[in-house]
Amino acid sequence: MRIFTYILFGTICGLTAFAADPAKAKFEKDILPLIEDHCFACHGDGQEKGGIKFDDFKKAGDVHRGYKLWEQVFRKVRAGEMPPEGRKKRPNKEEQTLIAGWIRHSLDDFYVNSPPDPGRVTVRRLNRTEYNNVIRDLMMVDFQPAKDFPADDSGHGFDNIGDVLSMSPLLLEKYLAAAEKIAEQAVAVPEQGKPMDPKKITDFQRHYFRYPIPQGERREAAVEFVRKFLRRAYRRDIEQDEAKRIMVLAGQAMVDGGSFEEAVRLAVMATLVSPHFIFRWELDGAPDNPKAIRSLNEFELASRLSFFIWSSLPDEKLLQLARQGELRKNLSAEVSRMLKDDRAKSLVENFAGQWLELRNLNVYRPDRKLFPTYTPELRDDMRRETELLFGHVMRENRSVLELLSADYSFLNARLAKHYGVKNIAGNQFRQVSLKGTGRGGILGHASILTVTSDPNRTSPVKRGKYVLENILGTPPPPPPPDVPELEVVGADKGTLREQMVKHRTNAVCASCHEKMDPIGFAFEHFDAIGRYRAKDNGQPIDAAGKLDSGEAFKNAAELRQILTNKKSDLFARCLTEKMLTYALGRGLEYYDKRTVDTIVKRLQSKGYRFNELIGGIVTSLPFDMKRGEAGK
Amino acid sequence: MSNMQLPRRTFLRGLGTAIALPTLEAMIPARALAAGNAKFPTRMAFIYIPNGVIQEKWNVKGEGKDYQFSHILEPLAKHRDDMLVFSGLAHDKARANGDGAGDHARANATFLTGAQARKTSGADIKLGVSVDQIAAQKIGDQTRLSSLELSSDGVRLSGRCDSGYSCAYQFNLAWKNASSPMPPESNPKAVFDRLFAGGSKKERDENKVRRERYRKSILDFALEDAKRLEKKLGYTDKRKLDEYLDSIRELEKRIEAMAKANVELPDGFSVPAGKPRDFGAHVRLMSDMMALAFQTDSTRIASYLLAHDGDNRSYPHLGVRQGHHSISHHRNAKDKVEDLTKINRYHCILFAHFLDRLKSIKEGDGTLLDHSMIVYGGAIGDGNRHTHHDLPVLLAGNANGAIETGRHVRYPTNTPMANLFLNMLDIMGTPTDRLGDSTGRLKNLS
Repeated sequence: MRIFTYILFGTICGLTAFAADPAKAKFEKDILPLIEDHCFACHGDGQEKGGIKFDDFKKAGDVHRGYKLWEQVFRKVRAGEMPPEGRKKRPNKEEQTLIAGWIRHSLDDFYVNSPPDPGRVTVRRLNRTEYNNVIRDLMMVDFQPAKDFPADDSGHGFDNIGDVLSMSPLLLEKYLAAAEKIAEQAVAVPEQGKPMDPKKITDFQRHYFRYPIPQGERREAAVEFVRKFLRRAYRRDIEQDEAKRIMVLAGQAMVDGGSFEEAVRLAVMATLVSPHFIFRWELDGAPDNPKAIRSLNEFELASRLSFFIWSSLPDEKLLQLARQGELRKNLSAEVSRMLKDDRAKSLVENFAGQWLELRNLNVYRPDRKLFPTYTPELRDDMRRETELLFGHVMRENRSVLELLSADYSFLNARLAKHYGVKNIAGNQFRQVSLKGTGRGGILGHASILTVTSDPNRTSPVKRGKYVLENILGTPPPPPPPDVPELEVVGADKGTLREQMVKHRTNAVCASCHEKMDPIGFAFEHFDAIGRYRAKDNGQPIDAAGKLDSGEAFKNAAELRQILTNKKSDLFARCLTEKMLTYALGRGLEYYDKRTVDTIVKRLQSKGYRFNELIGGIVTSLPFDMKRGEAGK
Repeated sequence: MSNMQLPRRTFLRGLGTAIALPTLEAMIPARALAAGNAKFPTRMAFIYIPNGVIQEKWNVKGEGKDYQFSHILEPLAKHRDDMLVFSGLAHDKARANGDGAGDHARANATFLTGAQARKTSGADIKLGVSVDQIAAQKIGDQTRLSSLELSSDGVRLSGRCDSGYSCAYQFNLAWKNASSPMPPESNPKAVFDRLFAGGSKKERDENKVRRERYRKSILDFALEDAKRLEKKLGYTDKRKLDEYLDSIRELEKRIEAMAKANVELPDGFSVPAGKPRDFGAHVRLMSDMMALAFQTDSTRIASYLLAHDGDNRSYPHLGVRQGHHSISHHRNAKDKVEDLTKINRYHCILFAHFLDRLKSIKEGDGTLLDHSMIVYGGAIGDGNRHTHHDLPVLLAGNANGAIETGRHVRYPTNTPMANLFLNMLDIMGTPTDRLGDSTGRLKNLS
């Protein structure tokens, strides 16, 4: 469901010039007559084309109840897709603006004033990254066992969304094979009939057993192992019966004449294939009752925290606090501890990596002849730079606005050379001032300038779209169907900018390209792999432009200032929405608007500090609570 | 029983040494042979090409037996007698039909399902069961793998896919039901391992029995866990658990079949090293795996996503430096039209390799290709305009004589491609009344 996105950028495309104020319009008097006039021919008075009819919507309250349909109506009317072209009677621009504007205003109002609802997260399967991390932390072996698992699907921009993480026979087969491999690596076995060679004992074995284990104490050791290991693997306390069943299974190896260690292996394998390990369950007493709202128990909260910040399972400390019922009381201290922990690099790699599309650097292939300096090493440096800045803001608890405004960055010799920054030697990254270079913030990073380019040239459209989508949270609607991307033919006719004026000549294209293109052109001083350039095609570059909201800028540096100073709220909101989506593992819904509002306010009042964002999320209603769902 | 060599030329590259395999006769269960009048089983595969084609260079001239090959199809000329070229087929459900942009995601999703993908990027993905899975659900239990899903896509793009459609639509061809895709395997080594359970013969013999037994115990244990959970779940979580339960059961069946089938690979074989970097080498190796799966009757049903729709890889060795998707929006610029033609033609060269392989494998008096029907095509016609009619589609192999190849058949414009699938399901012995937007069976196939 994409409802939420529309709430937030609803006012962006095409709704700026109001003749009548949609906020003051009344449904019965101002809107319904227009709907009857323009829509009823197909969707009213007995007609219900596409299964859609408007007869039953007599009052604003009816519209609110049917919000899902009316979000669609909003989208179609705003984009001019309905009523379809070619109909004799279509609303004029003002009427179109009024209808869309009223729907937006009225639904937003309804959303904010509806009762609190934590929503419901679909059970999440460990994705590939999480599986690797969990195995690293649980089994103390680090060989990326999920490397060959089928790719995880993403939804809402992230690959940890419960609804789209599916399970297939192929994947289960991989889990089974991985479990065998992991057990082999983590648990050494003695040679037939001999005692365990102390040199072979693994970290995992040392953690759970005290070698040598006398024959008579094996049973006890096994019981103790299963209890401890299962608790950690399932991220909760376990039932007597669960431990017993594992013991019985593992005993099979001993019956076969295998060693104690072979039994341990079997226990490990079974655990790693169990649905309790592979999925993150949050079981409810009344799973089918949407009114049954409850707080998470502290084990569930510990898992949500650790998978959010570490992309891995809770450590002993978190589980210990949860067991004592002390986690909520110590939440803020624990979050600080977790953010400083090395494992928090997962938040950088997985959240920032997907939000800022850094992961796409791996699939992006600039033209080798045009850009011979673009090597895999340089590509990795580019990604590293952005990760380091994000990690710096995170660890030092700095303002998130510094992501946009930082007049410093993290460079090594290779990247410094790429940027034309002098006197940086060696492979290590270090903090470097960028004052006077025209660069600053992530939008000056070669990583982002590169993923928003075509293989052989810059793409101001992609760069503009990137800023609207990932920085301002106001993505343009997708282009209408059947309209191919505007391509520039013949690169010898002036600058790219001169050629792309074509975008504006077509009214359909212009409405959105007027918003995207100027932002993109601001970055024209940076080529398709993010190097500074003074000229394009031999012509001086004109990077000046104006935002849709009126602010003018001469170049990327000035645009950066506008974004930091005047658009900080939009940026904070965009970042909050993205991170909340990532933290919850579900798309945002209309009832989450309240939560986002609260977090953004908290950020604003606390100098946009990074920890406030995390703190706002982990104490929010949807992160801390859940409810059942209506059965279908 | 006689052993036969796989053709060395192609196989050596991937496998290191040639593998000798028992002929199929030795491996078909006796009941299958008896039931099918000693005929060889019919195999069915689908290969997807993305981003549409330059139609005037794809389209053949003339109809029936005396048609003229086109420039793009020319690499397939040697297989002319074994091919049926189609014109006029369409996938209406790949069109927007009110859903706006996203033709690539829709094309990919619709190709084998004939269904309209629900526009959603998260929850509630909804499409329809695919043609291969209909057959797999009915006859999949006769082979060790009920079906095989392959792709040669590399790293998956992160984040957003096409215009608000879930990435699931764009990276899967096979759908078990409306909400569960069957993800493809892209590593040839992993495919090989699945087909032959990995390991050397020695290792297999020593550990096989015990390992299979442990696997079974572990799956039983997991199944028990899942059943206990089931009672405590709400609707959506239960659906997720059902996917898990189905997978367990499927895997149990597979392990059992594997133990019984006893497909013995002789000593000295080595498995594919991994994923080749070169796209062509990768595709050839995957094709070899598909042929191997058919040859050993490990499965009779396969789908292969040569590349997902919207794929933007470049083909530097063809001199094509821009991305495939970018080029497909050529706006009739001469250089781009030429580049796209080169890519279209290159894919045919790769397909010809697969047909060569199938043809080189003898089965009785014929070849493996004679006992197969391989659909090759895509769900975008003209990539520049994202059309979904006059699709580039052809079929190779006569499916044990059920299809009269060597012809070009023209159907009325906008004939649903799903109609062809109904015919194919008839031929597989798994008839169904309706698939996606099918309106009836195609005439003039045999």
